[in-house]
Amino acid sequence: MNCFMFPGQPLLRSELLPRDDDFDAIRELAGRRALFDLDGFSWLGEEGTESVKLQIYGVAMSLYHARRLRRQGIKPGLMAEHSMGIYPAMAACGSLSEGEVLELTFRAGCCMAQMGKSRQYALGCVIGLTLEPLLAIAENNEVYLANHNTSRHFLLSGERKNMEEAEAEAFACGAFSVKIFPCDAPLHSPLMAEVEGEMRAIFAGYRYREPAFPLMDHIDQDYLTAADLQDFMARELLLPVYWERTCHALRAAGAGSFFEVGVGDSLKKYNRWIDNEAK
Amino acid sequence: MSEELIDQVKQLIIDSLRIEGMNPADIETDAPLFGEGLGLDSIDALQLVVAMEKDFGVVVPDAATGSKVFQSVRSMAEYITEHRK
Repeated sequence: MNCFMFPGQPLLRSELLPRDDDFDAIRELAGRRALFDLDGFSWLGEEGTESVKLQIYGVAMSLYHARRLRRQGIKPGLMAEHSMGIYPAMAACGSLSEGEVLELTFRAGCCMAQMGKSRQYALGCVIGLTLEPLLAIAENNEVYLANHNTSRHFLLSGERKNMEEAEAEAFACGAFSVKIFPCDAPLHSPLMAEVEGEMRAIFAGYRYREPAFPLMDHIDQDYLTAADLQDFMARELLLPVYWERTCHALRAAGAGSFFEVGVGDSLKKYNRWIDNEAK
Repeated sequence: MSEELIDQVKQLIIDSLRIEGMNPADIETDAPLFGEGLGLDSIDALQLVVAMEKDFGVVVPDAATGSKVFQSVRSMAEYITEHRK
């Protein structure tokens, strides 16, 4: 069974953009609904942050790749999402239109970016440690587990100064690699409660249709219904992404071929690691 | 350092990273593995660390060491030759 996996926000943009009718359509939608010029990687109206630019770019590229897969006649039996991959996944499932998803991404991104005006936040990618020492480091430094991607690949979220201390401790504990990325908001952590009400109000502004394909969530590995989507998008802001257990659940559900629908191939690499360990 | 070891390292890269449609002969011995070369990243690096330990009993302790070891197939083979038990 084919599984379409929608990745979260990319950390970088690719210099090369596609040149075809599908990309032209997505570019037009991004300009009209998110006020963002994909070609110039710049704002057409009200300006957002660099993080919001990457969020719109990531969602736009996922929408584009979903179109290309449809055009190739590749159909999903199952869909899964990682973090903000839920936005394009909803479009691919027919729950929202592509334009609505781009607009929602822009509005949600701008709302979260307010948090970055008063404090500096960062994400910390830690590779090589196991969960137990990782959680101890998080607790010691008042940062939070944001992604549990594999048994040795995690993302932490929190205030930047705390993250720098967590980085030092992770290296001292034998982490193979630790990288810090500045961000607008401490995604997937309880600190996001500060904007939860406003985010819920944004999510409430859309009418969600029933997903046309089974769409597995990354928190509980349940299949989302139209009635679940608003609440799930709010909950996921405050809770970690559990990709490792999602990958196992997808396999158990019969997923055999995985298509990463978006920028990069991180999810495929996580799956490779998870599958190797399962052997 | 033998050509056999060079080929083993190339096969290790292909197998552990599941690079489809590539043969050992397709990988240049001195080409960079990260960035413009094979385009590997830190997730791949940890996968290679585990594979090197499993297949050759060689430990790459941290990313700083890894950045030297994973410069090319040749540097990987040299590290294995120096540290193999």
